Amino acid sequence: MKNASRASSITRRKLLKASAAGAALAAFPAPLIAQTKPFAGVTLHGASFQHRFFTLLQKYIPEFEDQTGMKVDLQLSAFPVYNQQANLELSSGGSAYDFVNVTFILAARWVAAGLLANLDEFTGDANLTPAEWNPKDFVDGAQVPYRDAKGATYGYSWEGGAMLMGLSRMDLMEKKGLKIPKTFAELQQVCAEINGTDGVAGITSFQLHHWNLPPYIQGFGGNIFRNPPGDIMPTLNTPETIQGIEFYANLLKSAPKGVLTYTEDQARQSLLTGRSNIFIHSSSWVTPILLSDESKVKETSRVVRSPAGPVHDYPASNSQGLGIPRNAKNKKAAWEFIKWALSPDISMRLVKEHGHSSICRRSIITSEAYRKLNTVNGQDLGALYLDVLELPAKGQNYMAYRTVKEFPIVGDVLNKAFEQVATGQLPAKDAMNAAQDQAIAALRRAGTQL
Amino acid sequence: MSESGIDAERRSFNVWALTPSLIVLFAVAVLPAIYLVVTSLTPFQLTTPGSATDFSSPLRNYGLLPGDPRFVNSLLVQAKLSFWSVLFQVLIGMGLALLLNVPSRFVEFARTFFLIPMVLPPIVVAVIWKLIYTPDISPLYYVAQALNFTMPALTSSVDFALTAIVIADTWEWLPFTFLMVLAALQTIPDEYSEAALVDGANKLQIFWYVTLPFITPILVISGMFRLIDSVKAFPLIFLLTSGGPGTVTEVTNYYAYLLAFDTNEIGYSSAVTVVMLLLVCGISLGLVWTGRRREALA
Repeated sequence: MKNASRASSITRRKLLKASAAGAALAAFPAPLIAQTKPFAGVTLHGASFQHRFFTLLQKYIPEFEDQTGMKVDLQLSAFPVYNQQANLELSSGGSAYDFVNVTFILAARWVAAGLLANLDEFTGDANLTPAEWNPKDFVDGAQVPYRDAKGATYGYSWEGGAMLMGLSRMDLMEKKGLKIPKTFAELQQVCAEINGTDGVAGITSFQLHHWNLPPYIQGFGGNIFRNPPGDIMPTLNTPETIQGIEFYANLLKSAPKGVLTYTEDQARQSLLTGRSNIFIHSSSWVTPILLSDESKVKETSRVVRSPAGPVHDYPASNSQGLGIPRNAKNKKAAWEFIKWALSPDISMRLVKEHGHSSICRRSIITSEAYRKLNTVNGQDLGALYLDVLELPAKGQNYMAYRTVKEFPIVGDVLNKAFEQVATGQLPAKDAMNAAQDQAIAALRRAGTQL
Repeated sequence: MSESGIDAERRSFNVWALTPSLIVLFAVAVLPAIYLVVTSLTPFQLTTPGSATDFSSPLRNYGLLPGDPRFVNSLLVQAKLSFWSVLFQVLIGMGLALLLNVPSRFVEFARTFFLIPMVLPPIVVAVIWKLIYTPDISPLYYVAQALNFTMPALTSSVDFALTAIVIADTWEWLPFTFLMVLAALQTIPDEYSEAALVDGANKLQIFWYVTLPFITPILVISGMFRLIDSVKAFPLIFLLTSGGPGTVTEVTNYYAYLLAFDTNEIGYSSAVTVVMLLLVCGISLGLVWTGRRREALA
């Protein structure tokens, strides 16, 4: 009887507990589940070009999948392949991707054509974006390409490319009594004087002339277009542009043989091994002379601001962003991913755990941890990087030429014309007059009103 | 059943048997070509909505082609590249075949060795030549330096860039003509050259009056194949010179590639490609017609 009573009471207790749990679940089932795995069952499709940032991010993605319950399918392709795929996918109104890399050179085209979702709708909603995510923390210069004319934002930058000058053989320069060049004229002199000393070339570069060349054109007061993004009449044959072309072609006389067909890797290797003294390119290509184990010139290297032209001091800079296609199926989930991937936490982990420094969050770049990791031989690389990355947002956006949709057409013409000048096929004036005509014809053919 | 009835049945069977293959062939070969032609009649730009279906001025792209200096230049570059590479491939291939047309184990091994470039993936061939032509890593330049000889950077020199492509293309496709000519040589009965030898002909005369007439049709056919294929020298151009310096090595298909994938002018690029297609078809038909005429005359 006792046993029977105990059994009966346990059963009753169990029943009461079960009823209470059942009632609770019936009252609040969805919110409870949603708070734990808000995107359970969602597969998020994203695409970008291959970059170290994504390779590192992939290590953390399982954490994100655990937090949210969604599965991330990130497709990484070679840069030109990705751009072609994304261009086709976005412009045809496809919905294959939930988030995409917004490539710097295509950003204006995609934003202007309305192919991307307005991210202000997400950052403006406190339920979707907590205050500490702080969209204003992104370096303004890096954000410029992802805004439309009204100031709406269509991407957030994950990578910044700030043009700096690396010098691998300061020992040689000191022997010759040469100082770090601060102007174009000094740069020309240093390159010419070092070239050939101990088998070292004065300068190295690579075949993407429409990246390397514009800072010289702008330094002399020229530009690629008259006043981009509003006025995109090419200005390839102005006296200033011709001066820039001649200067850069002359500079490359101090470069290794075959520099016109060099890839970025070849140029970087040439610098790292001390076969070339100067390389002016984005920080991630230049700073390895101080930071990489491969560098054979750590003791004799310096990284500084690139020299200023007689009219402007416009080192090139760029950024790459993450955005959401207008027709994406899982916009909220995609925003969750972007928010996480570009969060201060992940950014700091990339810096601390992998030494990945080319991020675009100001709070991280100016942090003590970042500064400590990126100060080498007394050189604060972070401060240099931030300084250059900020420039396009101060005053006139001098990098606007690169983000207008007409740039690929004119850039291609510019590349060909520069090679004609550098190889002596044509005098600069003739080559650039022909280039101007070709650029205008090509733009008109493509339907641009000039 | 009458004979004509059997013929009709056989014809009907052939039609039914061939239909699936023809449908597949139409879908994979003809439809894309038709789409290419259709696209060439539009101002199709990836980022201009509606441009893919704008047929308001269908011949606009074709009208612009003659006034496009890069297009005209690309045709000339293509002609130079095709002429020299096909000429070298046919001549050197024939020379090698004549040299290696002897029964010997070593020669058999050598023949296999000569075939390697042709079976390599084109991108591997391009990488090999990129290594050879890059001054700071190339064994060619080390040797030149050791001999105190100054060599220019071949792929970025106006005078040598196209030659550099011709050399690489010849290296890659020489085995094809070599193989074809060798096969032809092995079908020539020995009696002819033996008879000529008895009549007092020297080796040059035997080659000129006996061997060459036998292998001429094969030389023409392999030359024709190589001529058509030479238009596809894309990986070499892409990796070695990117069409440069300037437009020195910019062949028509590379220009079409830049238009389509760099500057997104799909419609115009399609027009360039259609012209290329017509030229290749024209050359092929011309060569076939010449071959038939020769046969008829013989």
